Amino acid sequence: MKALVTGAAGFIGSHLCEYLIEKGCEVVGIDSFTDYYPRSIKESNIAGLKDCGGFEFVEASLIEASLAKLLEGVEAVFHQSAQAGVRASWGESFKIYTDNNILATQMLLEACKDRPIKKFVYASSSSVYGDTTDLPMRETSLPAPVSPYGVSKLAAEHLCRLYFKNFSVPTVSLRYFTVYGARQRPDMAFHRFFRWALEGKPIEVYGDGKQSRDFTHVSDIVEANWLAFEKASSGEVFNIGGGSRITLNEVIEIIKEMTGVNFEVRYKDVQKGDVRHTSADMTKAKEVLGYDPKISVEEGLRREYEWIKDFMRR
Amino acid sequence: MGVSQELLDILACPKCKGDIHLNESKNGLICDNCKLLYEIKDDIPIMLIDEAKPIEE
Repeated sequence: MKALVTGAAGFIGSHLCEYLIEKGCEVVGIDSFTDYYPRSIKESNIAGLKDCGGFEFVEASLIEASLAKLLEGVEAVFHQSAQAGVRASWGESFKIYTDNNILATQMLLEACKDRPIKKFVYASSSSVYGDTTDLPMRETSLPAPVSPYGVSKLAAEHLCRLYFKNFSVPTVSLRYFTVYGARQRPDMAFHRFFRWALEGKPIEVYGDGKQSRDFTHVSDIVEANWLAFEKASSGEVFNIGGGSRITLNEVIEIIKEMTGVNFEVRYKDVQKGDVRHTSADMTKAKEVLGYDPKISVEEGLRREYEWIKDFMRR
Repeated sequence: MGVSQELLDILACPKCKGDIHLNESKNGLICDNCKLLYEIKDDIPIMLIDEAKPIEE
């Protein structure tokens, strides 16, 4: 089976490529190396893949690329690329989000029309739900994003559904809940917390630390993509969470114990676009996909800690 | 690893969507139509219009 993975050099995309190669798939990876975080990090994400048989990689933008050729022989599309960052999506930079998250998705979907693609899996986000107190978040709830980023992810999700309804592109959207693990982006909370702890710096938290998240380990996310390819019905949306919701303060306590560093915690103003709590209702993912997250937050944090120690030595 | 033939077969010029071919030194892909060179760095073809180099006649 040949798969196209967009955002292949990113945090999730690179793990997904490795998983697919292990499954015996041929993988074409595409990434435009946007400058949201350093190129060198993304290059190191795919360093191990480049020597794998069955993996091809091209630096290209979905908006420019000749997608028809890239899709030749492709049976599965895993659309992981996006302009990340909830807080950075305000103001003038919104155009980057409309280009990379909405327009790029539309162009990829357009290119997938009338092709023998078995499944188009779109990486959506829990940010489409917004700041709801109706927890856990259900796929049937009315989405009401509170960040321009969330709006862009929701718009692309709607495009996926539209292209299924109108052109039979077999799309499935997976709403990821706060993904973490090895190779986590340097702007993300756990990555920063570990780095600051190891550098002997105080840890800065937006808000009072009592906000909670349904943290999901990247290996569970990758597994969910495969299950979506194999089992999902087209046109559907699934929550993909980690199965347990904990507060940032609880995470910080685990990190203190794990690192043995008794760092200072500085609480800062809540950022616009941040939500208070997230929690995934995974009834549908369990029933339809057989999705069952395996990595606890403690285990996932330990794995990320092992990786970040190595990352900081480079 | 070098750029494989399988990859070359599925690449096209992002500007005109036309065919491209390896240059003699095998460190770039040429679009004869647009007269642009797309560099290959660390075995990665960089198929971005902004990064392409014009080919001098």
